[in-house]
This record gives sequence, structure tokens and C-alpha cells, in this order.
Amino acid sequence: MYFKLTYFIGIIIAPLELKMNKTFSYQSSIFFDEYIDSKSSPRKGYKRSIDFFHSLSPSERVHYTNLCESSISSMGVTFQLDANELQDRSWPLDLIPRIIASNQWRLIQKGLIQRVKALNYFINDVYNKQVFLEKNPVLKELILESSNFLPECMGITPKNKVWSNICGTDLIRDDKGKFFVLEDNLRVPSGVAYMLENRNIMKRVIPDLFNSYAVNPIDDYPSQLFKCLGEASFNTNANKKIVVLTPGVFNSAYFEHSYLAQQMGVELVEASDLYVSRSNNVLMKTINGPKKIDVIYRRIDDVFIDPKVWRKDSSLGIPGIYNAWKNKKIAIVNAPGSGVADDKAVYAFVPKMIKFFLKEEPIISQVKTYVCAFKKDLNYVTNNIEKLVLKPVNESGGYGILIGPQSSKSELKKYKSKILNNPRNFVAQPLIKLSTSPTLINKKIMPRHLDLRPFILSGKNSFVTQGGLTRVAMKKNSTIVNSSQGGGSKDTWIAD
Amino acid sequence: MLSSNAEKIYWLSRYIERAENTARLVNVNFDLLLDIPHDSVSDFIHLVEITSDLEQFNSILLDEKMFYSSSVSAMKNVVLNFVIYNSDNLGSITYSLEMAKYNSRYLRTMLPKTAWEQFNKLHSEFSLSNEENHNTEVLHQIIRNSKTFFATISDAMHRDHVFDFIKLGRFIERADMLSRIIEDQILRKDTKIPKYYENLQWMSILKSVNGFESFKKINKGELRRSNVLDFMVKLKEFPRSIIFCINRLIAVTKYLPNSENLKLKLIQIKKQAAKLNEKSTDKQILAILDLLQLGLIDLHLEIEKKFFNRSPI
Repeated sequence: MYFKLTYFIGIIIAPLELKMNKTFSYQSSIFFDEYIDSKSSPRKGYKRSIDFFHSLSPSERVHYTNLCESSISSMGVTFQLDANELQDRSWPLDLIPRIIASNQWRLIQKGLIQRVKALNYFINDVYNKQVFLEKNPVLKELILESSNFLPECMGITPKNKVWSNICGTDLIRDDKGKFFVLEDNLRVPSGVAYMLENRNIMKRVIPDLFNSYAVNPIDDYPSQLFKCLGEASFNTNANKKIVVLTPGVFNSAYFEHSYLAQQMGVELVEASDLYVSRSNNVLMKTINGPKKIDVIYRRIDDVFIDPKVWRKDSSLGIPGIYNAWKNKKIAIVNAPGSGVADDKAVYAFVPKMIKFFLKEEPIISQVKTYVCAFKKDLNYVTNNIEKLVLKPVNESGGYGILIGPQSSKSELKKYKSKILNNPRNFVAQPLIKLSTSPTLINKKIMPRHLDLRPFILSGKNSFVTQGGLTRVAMKKNSTIVNSSQGGGSKDTWIAD
Repeated sequence: MLSSNAEKIYWLSRYIERAENTARLVNVNFDLLLDIPHDSVSDFIHLVEITSDLEQFNSILLDEKMFYSSSVSAMKNVVLNFVIYNSDNLGSITYSLEMAKYNSRYLRTMLPKTAWEQFNKLHSEFSLSNEENHNTEVLHQIIRNSKTFFATISDAMHRDHVFDFIKLGRFIERADMLSRIIEDQILRKDTKIPKYYENLQWMSILKSVNGFESFKKINKGELRRSNVLDFMVKLKEFPRSIIFCINRLIAVTKYLPNSENLKLKLIQIKKQAAKLNEKSTDKQILAILDLLQLGLIDLHLEIEKKFFNRSPI
């Protein structure tokens, strides 16, 4: 068993084509690589995949890449960078799959279910008795001041006490290969349609390699989602009428909205298709007249959903729907207000929540987080700013983040004064050395950083996807994996 | 079916049909001009009159410092740009296709994949065509692609309400365009074109509705105004006659909910059309066409009220 892999213990910034192995010029680094271990051999389960990509001649590589691209465009898998960009972009998929052993994944699934359960108990507690908040006064203060906390939700308990029925939790691996939770997206996590389509494309493009692994299937997600949505309704009718609510065709995730609606066989609607009757029923306008609906899978932010209650300027919302929801006539998924736990300061408290609500120890670790609202943490952060990753608590999509070790002195100084001005608004974490995986870049195989977003459904029971959406930073040394900032993706194989 | 989707489907279909009809009309007049040896620009101006707003066109002429007395070839270019490419002109092909595109973005999951791809082809091929270099190929392309689009629909689509609204849009648009073409020809008679060329014009009109061969089969080569009118308005076997369109629309109402009123209105329009006969004078014909067009507008409003109604009841 010999591979023409060149493996150095060194730093990643070293030139990558040192050894003249043109087909697989791939060296290791201080980072954990998912394909090769520190002894230059492929990790268990990766050999076939390495062999396959290694054996491709340059022209075959071009062939497969083209095949992949043409499948993507003929299947119409697109996304938009922003509303101003009228042209849809083809979805960037890297052909080299990410492989995770199924016994390892089973443990992660358990950990994710545990985590989301605790988070849902926490949200329910925030909007009802606030027992946990009473025990954590700093958190209480942060929560009550947070723009994600919606006072109008006080006293409400959704079906099964679940606020975030659909959660996307981002996982990363450190330089030892250990999984960590990076953040929880409890509002309107996106990406699942791309996870499903990545699989379809891979099956089309490299069926033989796919076949050589016993990959756990993922295509029952839409039916699981459908079931989960139905379970969110208090109505007792047998066939729940479910709709997907989109802000419209110019939203960057519109492809996913229409994809999920189609896969579940439900209507994709905009706010103007719905209205609330005097008896607080939510009705959909059809050519046969009004039709009552039971569940809205909303893909708009909660504060836009009812202009009578929250954002008055919202044209994406349905006036009066808050009352219908409060009166349990309609289920809104995820529930308005669930974003209160999306906050990066709340993240720091999740291990405590798991212990408090479930009396369990956390199964998956998370990144040590300094909450600048604590005096002690603030001191540490300001003294060690050059070692840390700094994050504003209310941003997502990788915006507003400062990576200490990669920033200039003046940038750090500027950021420090931003923190001191408003400590509550910031958290800090040590820089995790994100794992890498071989990735096809311009016909060459290069190491690139990646993360993983599995999706967790909560209703009567919980469900976790087999794997999730693996996102990969396409630029050398970059750790920004968001597709809105040029990131790519990989199919994730959970296999024995 | 969602009201808003019904509305988008209906308009998608109308705009594609409109683009195709406009392309036909422009194309035929292109041909005709080669046959008529005179230096009048009226043959091109009437294209503007049928499809677009003449006042808007006149203001463009002013901007370009051109007059009706300008050379035919110069005028030809301005007219063609206006009816094909000017996106401010609500009657231009560009405008129709952009509106169709707008509606189509919402309909991806409602159309058969092949139809969706065919529409994108129609739109992208036209977008790539060159404004500076006029040739009729771009028009043929639109006609071909539009025909393929509708053929794909009838071949690959299962018969649901989506299909019904495609038909509604298509045949209302077609009937409307037919009535305008005929009306324009009647009104045009008093221009200074010699009598001899009138037949050429009728012939070109038949061509513009793809009906020249059928017409010849039925009328054994005899080209008279009354024959052509009868053919274009009343021949129920010809897919581009007004009666044919109305019959198709009546057939669709069978599948739509609460459509009794719609059907009654259609029968009224049919009765109007049947009044046309060999002895009808120009004035009578124009009056009938007027009522036909009003009937079609009324029909559209009825559809809007019944199916697209945006405000809660």
C-alpha cells in the first residue's frame, strides 16, 4: 500500500507543489486533514476515494468537473449572491466527497438532539417562567436587551414546547480531528436543498465511487420535514394544510424555498397570498376561493412576519397573523422569537443549559467562548485580542468577524475600542485550527478548510440528517465557508 | 391552485403569445415592403399602430430628429428598433419577453422541466440577438421557440389548472391581436397605396397569421377582402381565427370553478363575430371589431375578478 502522497509536517503556507507529484500534490500541515493522517497514509475508509481521484488523468479530471457543472446547470441548482444580482449563479460543488464513519456520526446525532432539546427548553423558559435566567443574571440582562428577544411572545408555548423545529447547527473539527459545535442557527437555517442536490449530482457524476461505499441515504429529508411541520399544529384535522412562506423570487435562498415546497408537495406562497380572517383563521387565496391553512414554514425573519406587531414597514408579512398564532389557529415554524437563542452570547451558556434542563453532560464539545459582558472575560479578551477570533453577537454569515492572529495592529486597536464601547455586543473565541480536506481547485487537488451543517428536526420526536451540508472555503488558507462569500460545498457521506 | 400563480401563468402565456404574434407581424411586413415599390413609410408606421403607442413613437422620432418624410430605410430601422427592442415600449417584443421572464421565475416548479428550459432558450436567444444588425432570423427564432414552448406544454403537461390558465392567456391574446390586425388593415385602405397592392396586403396578413396555404386550399386562390375576413374571423377549423380562439376558451371554462359568467361572456363575443358577413361595410366591420375587443377586455376583467382577486373577500 503506497500512495504518491507527499506529506510534510509543516505549515500550510509552504508552497504546495514542492514535490513533483502533479496529480496529487497534497501536503499536510498543522491542520487535521480528513483524508490523510500524520503518517502519510489515508485514513480508514478514505482509501477508495483517494485511489479514485488519484487515478484520474488531467483530462479525466476536466471531464468529471465539466460533467458536474453541466449536471448542476441542467438541474437548475442555483443561488444568488444578493438581490441586486439578477443572474443566478450555479451552485459550487466540489467532487471530492467528505466521508464520516457511521458509528462516529451516531454519537454526533445524539449530541445534536441533546443540544437542540436543551435549546428549545431554554427558549420556552425565556418566554415563560425564566427559571434559568434567574439563575444567570448576566445572561438575563443580555437576553432582555437583545433585539432577538420578542416580548410579544411571553406566555406562549408552541406545540410540544418546540420553538425551533428546524435547526442547522454548524460543526467544525480542530487540529486533533475532534468535532465542535461552532454555532446554532435556530431561526431560518438554509442549505438543506443544496445538501440534497449535492447527493443527486454525485450519484450522476461518479456513480462507481459512490457505489463502492455503503452511503447512508439522505433523500427522506423532505418527508421528515413534512411530518415535522404537521406535528407543529394544534389543529386536529387529519390532513394538515402546510405552506412554505418565501419573501419572493429575489431572495437569495428562493431556490431552496421552491425546492422544498415542491419536494413536500405543498404550496410555495408569499405574504400576499395569505390573509387572516376575523375569526383568526389563516386563509390562502386560491382560484377556488379561500382555503384554510394549518402550518406556515416561514422562510422570512420573524420580525417581518406581522407588520401590525413587529416591523411596521414589512411588506413581507401577513397583518394579524400574530393573533392567529397566539390563539393556536396557525403554527409558525420556526416560532417567532426562537432567534433569542441564536445569539452568540447564549451559545456560551448551552453546556449549562444541557445540565440544567436535561441533567446530562454535553455529548459534543463547543468552542470556549468569552462573553465580554462578563468583566473577567472582557479583561481577558482585551489583553489577548491578538490570539482570539472576535464576533459580534448578532451577526451571521461570517460578517463582522475579526480574526486576531491574521489582523494588523491598527485593526486590532480599532476593534478593541469597538468592544470597549459596547462589551455586550461581543464574544471572543480561541482560533480553532479548522480541519482540511482535499479539494479540486483548477484541476489540482489542494487542502481546503471546511465545516459541516447538519439539520435537526424537532417535533414529537427528533430527527438528524445523515451528514449535512459540508461547506468548504475555496480560497487558500481562508476559513470563510459561506456561499454568500464565495464558499463551495461537498457531498457528505456517512458510511461504514 | 394559488390565485397569484394562476395570474402569473396566465400572463406568462399571454406575453409569450404576444411576442410571437408581434414577431410574425414584423416579419411579414418586412417581406411586404420588398414588394411594394413606393416611398411611403406608412407600411412601417402601421406596425407601430397595431402593436404600440403611436404618440410614444412620435416622441422618439422627434428625439432622433426624424420625420415621416425621412427615407424608408432610415425609418425602417427606427420602427424595427422600437417594436422589437425598445424596453420602454410596452408593445415591444423585448418588453413582452421580459415580463414573461419575470412571471416565469415563480413558475419553475409548475411547468414541465422541458417547457421551462424551452422558455429560457427563447428568452436567452432573443437577449443575445443584435440590435444593430437587423435581420429576420431573430424573428423566426422567436416564432420557432414560442411554438416549441407551447408544443412542449401540450405534449408534456398533465391537464390541470396550470394548463387551463396557459390556454386562457394564449387564446385571449391571440384573438385580441387578430382583431387588431384586421382593424388596422381596414383603416389603412384610404392611404395612397394603389388598389392593386391591396391584395398584396391581404395576402401578407394571411401570411402573418400563418394562414396563406389554408386559405388557398379553401378559397381556390380567390383573394377577396370578404373571403379573407370570413377566414380570419369565422372559420372555426383554423387555429388563428377569432372563432377558433373563442371556442377554445369556451372549452377551457368547463374545467374552471365558478366559470358560468365567463362562458356567457364568451358566447356573447361569438355572437358578435358571427354578425360579420359578405355585405358588411367597413363601418360595420369596424363596429363589430370594436365590440369584440371590448368583449375581450371585459373577459379579462372577469377572469381577474374570479380568479386573481388580490384583496380578501
